[in-house]
Amino acid sequence: MDWLEQELKQALARKEPAADFDARVRRRLVRTTPRWLAAAAALVVIAGGGALYRRHQGEQAKEQVMQAMRLAGSKLNRVQAHVQAMGERQ
Amino acid sequence: MIEIQSAARQACDFGELMREHRSMVFSVVYHFLHDRDLAEEIAQDVFLSLHRNLGELESPAHAAHWLRRVAVQRSIDAARRRQRRPMVALESLPEPSVRPSPGDPLLGEMLRKLIASLPETQRMVVILRYQEDLDPSEIAGIMGIPVGTVKSHLQRSLALLREKLERRGVGER
Repeated sequence: MDWLEQELKQALARKEPAADFDARVRRRLVRTTPRWLAAAAALVVIAGGGALYRRHQGEQAKEQVMQAMRLAGSKLNRVQAHVQAMGERQ
Repeated sequence: MIEIQSAARQACDFGELMREHRSMVFSVVYHFLHDRDLAEEIAQDVFLSLHRNLGELESPAHAAHWLRRVAVQRSIDAARRRQRRPMVALESLPEPSVRPSPGDPLLGEMLRKLIASLPETQRMVVILRYQEDLDPSEIAGIMGIPVGTVKSHLQRSLALLREKLERRGVGER
């Protein structure tokens, strides 16, 4: 190894980062973790909300069908009673 | 079996890996970019990335190799983002009023500036050779280039640095 290579080794000797380097890495780790949790929580809320909304819509549709059937049933009863009354009169 | 499990746990001890390798990671980035604040930030990014990939590391040697490779890649990426390939143009280096001699701290500073002015690949090859004391085949493995290319980059860089130093009146002892 000649003089230049020895000088290069000295010039490029390892240096320490700032004294609080480890602490800063750990702070950034803590900061990044809740972002993951928040994103996961937001996904759960959105997915759960979507499922609840779909269930609510399904129940509403079922209720409307039942109401329509009840209305149709009472109309039929009335028609049946009317037809029966006409038959008795004849 | 217990010993193997214990070794695996040691390899994955994040705090221990950071204490052991922070100066290596920081110095690779700092000597490459010649910017202390940016080097600190990128070195932190490297360790955050290590934390995410801790499960993939099989041994302390694997962790050291992984950190060196990621530090090299992040340094090159950062230099490309900055789009300022020669960090210090050779022509802009002031001529020293006193000619430094070998062993002089002034010469160390002059050399660091000259290294910062080398093209990206040559600069990183020189850093890995003289900071990390790696041989050309190890450098080739980390940088993903042929061993022959590493050797020619080293020869060219040394010739260039020698020529620039001689022009500034710094020569052999």
